[in-house]
Amino acid sequence: MSSGTETGSDVLQGPTSDSCGTVPVEHLDYDYIEKCKDVKYMERILGVLRSGKEGIYPHLITFCESHLEKLNPRSRSLRKVNPVATASSFSTDEWSQIIDELKTWEEETKKTETLMKQESMLGDTVKIKIPPVRGSNRCVQLRESSASKERQNSSKHTLPRDYREWDKYDVDKECDRIDGNVLKNDPPAVLNTGHPKIKTEVDSSLLSQQEKLLLANREKDKGNEAFRAQDYEEAVAYYSRSLSVSPTVSAYNNRAQAEINLKHWHNAMRDCQQVLELQPGNKKALLRRATVYNHMGNFQMASEDLRMVLREEPHNTAATQLLSEIEKKMSECQPEQERKAKKVLIQEVEEEDSNSFKEKRAQRTACPVQPSQPVGGEESSAAPAERGDMGNTQKKPHTRGDGGPHSESSNSHQHGHWKSKVGSSDKYKVPQESKEKVANGSNQRASAASVPADQNSKSTGGGRTEETVNLDAPCGALPPHLSRLKNEGNLLFKNGQFADALEKYSQAIQGYTDSGIDSPEDLCILYSNRAACYLKDGNSQDCIQDCTRALELQPFSLKPLLRRAMAYESLERYRKAYVDYKTVLQIDISVQAAHDSVNRITRLLIEQDGPEWRENLPEIPLVPLSAQQHRREEPPSAEALQARKEKAARDAERRAEILFSALKQEGNDFVKKGQYQEALGKYTECLKLKPKECAVYTNRALCYLKLEMFTEAKEDSDAALNLEPTNKKAFYRRALANKGLKDYLACSSDLQEVLQLDPNVQEAEKELEEVTVLLRQSLANDSQAKPRRTVPITEVDDDKDLTAVPNPETTCTGEDITINLKPTSAYDFGQSLNAARCSGNTAACAELLASTSPELLPEYLSTQLDSATISFVMQALDSHLLEKNPNLVYQHLSHLHTTDRFPVVLMLLEKDERRHMTQLFEHLSAVESAEFTTNDVQNLANKYI
Amino acid sequence: MSSPLSKPQIIAHIQKSLNYTVFDSKWIPCSAKFVCLGNFPRGSGVIQIYEVQHGEAQLVTEVEKPKSLKCGTFGATTLQQRHIATGDFDGNLNIWSLEAPEAPLYAVKAHREIVNSIDGVGGLGIGDGAPEIVTGSRDGTVKVWDPRQKDLPVANMEPVEGETKRDCWTVAFGHAFNDQDRCVCAGYDNGDVKLFDLRNMSLRWETNIKNGVCSVEFDRKDIDMNKLVATSLEGKFHVFDMRTQHPSKGFASVSEKAHKSTIWQVRHLPQNRDIFMTAGGAGNLHLWKYEYPAKRSKKDSDGVDVGVAGSVSLLQNVTLSSQPIASLDWSPDKQGLCLCSGFDQSVRVLIVTKLNVV
Repeated sequence: MSSGTETGSDVLQGPTSDSCGTVPVEHLDYDYIEKCKDVKYMERILGVLRSGKEGIYPHLITFCESHLEKLNPRSRSLRKVNPVATASSFSTDEWSQIIDELKTWEEETKKTETLMKQESMLGDTVKIKIPPVRGSNRCVQLRESSASKERQNSSKHTLPRDYREWDKYDVDKECDRIDGNVLKNDPPAVLNTGHPKIKTEVDSSLLSQQEKLLLANREKDKGNEAFRAQDYEEAVAYYSRSLSVSPTVSAYNNRAQAEINLKHWHNAMRDCQQVLELQPGNKKALLRRATVYNHMGNFQMASEDLRMVLREEPHNTAATQLLSEIEKKMSECQPEQERKAKKVLIQEVEEEDSNSFKEKRAQRTACPVQPSQPVGGEESSAAPAERGDMGNTQKKPHTRGDGGPHSESSNSHQHGHWKSKVGSSDKYKVPQESKEKVANGSNQRASAASVPADQNSKSTGGGRTEETVNLDAPCGALPPHLSRLKNEGNLLFKNGQFADALEKYSQAIQGYTDSGIDSPEDLCILYSNRAACYLKDGNSQDCIQDCTRALELQPFSLKPLLRRAMAYESLERYRKAYVDYKTVLQIDISVQAAHDSVNRITRLLIEQDGPEWRENLPEIPLVPLSAQQHRREEPPSAEALQARKEKAARDAERRAEILFSALKQEGNDFVKKGQYQEALGKYTECLKLKPKECAVYTNRALCYLKLEMFTEAKEDSDAALNLEPTNKKAFYRRALANKGLKDYLACSSDLQEVLQLDPNVQEAEKELEEVTVLLRQSLANDSQAKPRRTVPITEVDDDKDLTAVPNPETTCTGEDITINLKPTSAYDFGQSLNAARCSGNTAACAELLASTSPELLPEYLSTQLDSATISFVMQALDSHLLEKNPNLVYQHLSHLHTTDRFPVVLMLLEKDERRHMTQLFEHLSAVESAEFTTNDVQNLANKYI
Repeated sequence: MSSPLSKPQIIAHIQKSLNYTVFDSKWIPCSAKFVCLGNFPRGSGVIQIYEVQHGEAQLVTEVEKPKSLKCGTFGATTLQQRHIATGDFDGNLNIWSLEAPEAPLYAVKAHREIVNSIDGVGGLGIGDGAPEIVTGSRDGTVKVWDPRQKDLPVANMEPVEGETKRDCWTVAFGHAFNDQDRCVCAGYDNGDVKLFDLRNMSLRWETNIKNGVCSVEFDRKDIDMNKLVATSLEGKFHVFDMRTQHPSKGFASVSEKAHKSTIWQVRHLPQNRDIFMTAGGAGNLHLWKYEYPAKRSKKDSDGVDVGVAGSVSLLQNVTLSSQPIASLDWSPDKQGLCLCSGFDQSVRVLIVTKLNVV
């Protein structure tokens, strides 16, 4: 340092010479320098000082230097010429290390040198694989660079041009030149990212061992450099080169890291494996493999690797960090697997809620949430991981719900222990009413506090008898002055002085935090009480805040939940309010206020959001069993129970009604849209609520029919008929179901029922006709021992069968191929179809199809289903059968797709064939029919196209 | 300056005074030996081989040559042979075997005037492709030689007939990352820097750095060209990022004025291409580190890629003598070992510490 100051004028690049004149002497001052922020000017000041022209002030110079360093540590003026380091610049250890290192290097190199010499003596030094000589005396002509010429020219002044020069100006030429320039500028920038051109292998077969080692090292160095420049692809290329010369652990390791940075996980994994094969337990490789596993989602393996690393090196920060990260992820993952189960359980809770409304007994019998309790516990541990944030979720369940200061029910449902104590000990007998009068704070504390009930009841009892006097009654774990504050607050609250009570509670809370007591129960009560004050004052926002705090301290306490719910409701945040009320009801089902509010809000929400209102709700937290227990222990008075039951029943009814109509509406909507499966679900839910609703059964039957689940359809129709024996819809649908089940007899009798009830039902009539045919057919089939090819059902459907019945051999359009139009087996059908197809006779095919029962079609076709067949059948249906009998076409189509391998064949259809199919469906949907609607056709088409 | 020992230190390990003017000094690859080239006061050339032994440089061989030797390289030889190629004041290119330095293995009258600079590639496992030597001379030509071809260069880059011939002060190989690609960079006394593409036999790029170019070097010869450092007569040096060549703007560069006098030499650390040392006319050495920018290229207003230069930071600087340091060479085998020779007629072996932690 000192030498630097002395040789100050030697500063490498200083503004010394030129700047002296511009710095006034006043600026060479401590104060000025300290205030100066201009680095350039500071450098100049320093230059003046160092030059010594204004006198030599060593201390001022150092001061200036230190200040300049603060402003710009890399300032050039601070660069000083250092002498060469010598042994004295180092500690003895360092110095000896340096010297030793050099010595060992000297020795080693000498050894390798001699080795190499020997090798070169032994091996032939001729290299075969050298590229040929480039050429001979190829010339590149050079000119002086344009830049240097310009520079020379720039010194000359350009003379103004003569006006006559304009005469020589050729506009076209100039334009061309400009265009040409544009073109010239076009070639894109040359990017030297030549790594694809780098050979990843080096031919080292001719090199000696020493050379190989050197080469491998050099290539690895290049890889390292590229890695540092964040050119990972290039780095990988060079590491690969290094490895191709000689595989080393470090090159593999480095390549793994580069691959990781490129996110080539599999390559990285391979490299790590290689390292571990060469050197088991290599920490870097383990760490990197853990990273790879982590990214590939294999947390188990990752944590194993990391543990190995930490066993070797317990203080490896990278490993520790990664491990904790992975463990977090693992805990996240596990709940994911359980999420389904959990959701179901939440549903269960909800269902049971409604069940319990319905069934009066449910209130007292098994606790509805009980079965879910263990999982509920799991959820609370799983939830944080699921959301990736521990703190938040812990809060969430707690913040739900609230209690109302006014609610009688909450008063009547006190903490179990406390209640029994009070009840049993007559000494401290406190009538129910007086208890209600008492500001709720003490009550609540009693309910929540774990303080021995004995002392507790004594104190509260005392507080009550001499309400106004004993304000010093101890409250839980609160110190006297705080309990006094609280009691005062309670009194004020009771007297309706909410603002004053608020102040007292605030003071108490302040005092609590200051005193540093650890009694969350008491703080919770204070917050809850203050929330009550806020609520009374109409300050819902603060009320919510306080309740949330209280619930953080004491999750699932009733009153804060209720209060918050009310606050939310008053702020018209109905969804949150709903959730809180629901939570309250989970804790205590008998809170009437909550029931009322829930109903009210449900209606509001249905109005707002329509039938899907539930989907917009936030999740309702699961209340752990421990939080629910206390309400079961005390048996309420008989009348109260009775009244409550009635009320609950009424409520449940109302609720169920609303829910039911909503579900039914949804179901009907789905039916209209043709989404039968979804509709089915909705109807099923409806029936859970109201098992005696005939219309729902018939509707569901319709869904089953559409989904071709005939047995279920029949059952539903039966159920509907049980409820309402003259429901024609039910009869009609049962008829269809029977038809589907091929019980034609039952079908026709059902249809006759329908017609008896209402002779104007045309569908039924048509259906009846059809079924009669089928019935006869089936009867005929039964009567004939073995049905032969020609089944004489001539009478049935006049015009259709007239064409079909005449001897098939003759009908076949006069071609020599005989087409059997009455197949009785898959083989017959196949023969006929093939014959028709070979001759391209779609008419014959149509005939064939007309005479084939749609149900049998899949069976017949299954052996020879291919795209050509399908296409052919489609054409036949389209061109011939559609006009005559669209119903049959529909039937055929609705059966055809059930054929084995149909989806596969469908995929193989060619464009042309697809077009045929689309056409067919277009035509079909254009047809008006009683049998099917356009929706049906659309549904069917979806299965094809 | 807060903690002087945390940054690299430059130690003068060995200092050897010589009785002749040394122009160039080179480590012999894979050994603890080095070669010094120079001229005796009587005008003859000299090759000396020293071996580093126990903190001393011991003379192994000394051969006197008729012409003063200006420069030498091992770049185009194999590790087994380790032949040195030299250029002399008379324009001759010679290749010598160090075991038998009496007669040259290859001799050619390469230039009409002094060979200022020489570089080799394709040997020592550095750079794919044929072994080639490039020489730059006062006669204004740059010639590429293949030791397998007698008498004629494989490529000759000379000024157009009739134009003034600029003195070529420095040449360097680069871009030799596969069999075909190879570039030569040459610096001239008028500040021209020219980049020749040997594959296409064309001038690829040129620029002018306003002052005579004393030394050019690619950070690596055997990679896709990455960086080029050019030092100038007036104490400035330029670092060009060679990865992105804009059609009109060329390569992006950063310049730094470090020495008050000519920067005679620049040499990149063989073990880390982003660290390089410059040797100044005032006998001082500067150790630099190049720091890449966050993104090495960007799109200009026309949507064409244009390079972005990084920054240079000074790691260490020392003053060795009052005379210029004319040659600098890092040991290819031992990181931090460095050889420099100056006009004070001495050669020094330096140790630069903590290079692995920069």
